Amino acid sequence: MPRIGCLGKIVIAALVFMVLMIIGAVFFRLPEMPHVELAAEEVFSVAGFAITNTMLAAWLTILVLGGVCYAATRRMKLVPTGLQNAVEAAVETMLNFVEDVAGKEYGRRFFPIIATIFLFVVANAWLGLVPGFSTIGVIRTGEEGEVLLPLMRGANTDINLPLALALVSCVFVEYWGIKVHGFFRYVRKFFNVSPLLRGTGQVLRGKIRSGVSAISTGIIDAFAGFIEAITEIARIMSFTFRLFGNMTAGELLLFVMVFLIPWVAAIPFYGLELFIGFVQALIFAGLTLVFVVIAVSTREEH
Amino acid sequence: MTEEAMKMLAAGLAIGLGAIGPGIGVGILGRGAMEALGRNPEARGAIMTNMILAIAFAEAIAIYALIVAIILVFVA
Repeated sequence: MPRIGCLGKIVIAALVFMVLMIIGAVFFRLPEMPHVELAAEEVFSVAGFAITNTMLAAWLTILVLGGVCYAATRRMKLVPTGLQNAVEAAVETMLNFVEDVAGKEYGRRFFPIIATIFLFVVANAWLGLVPGFSTIGVIRTGEEGEVLLPLMRGANTDINLPLALALVSCVFVEYWGIKVHGFFRYVRKFFNVSPLLRGTGQVLRGKIRSGVSAISTGIIDAFAGFIEAITEIARIMSFTFRLFGNMTAGELLLFVMVFLIPWVAAIPFYGLELFIGFVQALIFAGLTLVFVVIAVSTREEH
Repeated sequence: MTEEAMKMLAAGLAIGLGAIGPGIGVGILGRGAMEALGRNPEARGAIMTNMILAIAFAEAIAIYALIVAIILVFVA
């Protein structure tokens, strides 16, 4: 058998891939476009409270994460091996990242929430790619005839979960800002009226020229503080839609690719989805970390 | 024009025009990161981390446009 060089192997792999694509496109066609629904579908209800398939997937994620951490801490050794080694490496990497951004003093205190947000989002995203999610389900008869109701669906595709995480992150940032600076000093950043009042006082006392300039800068400062308050609120929506949009678009992309060329063409897109899930989790946790570091930092007034 | 046609047109315009800005933005970010990396290859870790973070900010705008397009096609 002659030696096949590196380029030859790539060419052979590409040819095999194309043959598999053609076989899939000819023999395994889906009869119709997959039915896509943005809102999460209810699987059953408990005392009037609807349990959706994304909720089931989130519970599975919690079980998986808890199970892995439980298994890694049984019979712990001083020099770790196996699962304990892998989990320790992951924790150390995340701790280094958090301490790089937040500094040694605050790094340890911010670490639990930041690491939990990261692990939860990435585990949800990756578990949503396991074969069986969004494909195994029960048939329900709806308005358009028979529709498949998936039993499990990637938890990040339900808008409620990114919204909940964004609210947690916002409360986390505000809590630390108030805890470090005190309630009134922190809120005064948003309602920055003291330069304005000082200017008015100067005008009333007779120093017209300095008073008027102080009033104009005071108006700008007050407006800037107001804009900062609006930015805090807008951050919630930004976090929510960034995570929801990326995950839903990824799920839709996989559906459409499997519909267009069944059987193998979705494999590169699975790789893309793995990468995007990881990056979005990193973004969510990293941005929360950056905002909380800004909130606790003492900025000198100009 | 029928309502269906108008919705499809709106969805196409939403994502098409909405992705121009973020595309240019991500390109500018990449250029800045490449230049910084060329000047100082040792700072690779910090540059890459901050580049990914900034790209996610720019990408979020494109995702907003994509959400509008998806809502137009599937929900409205």
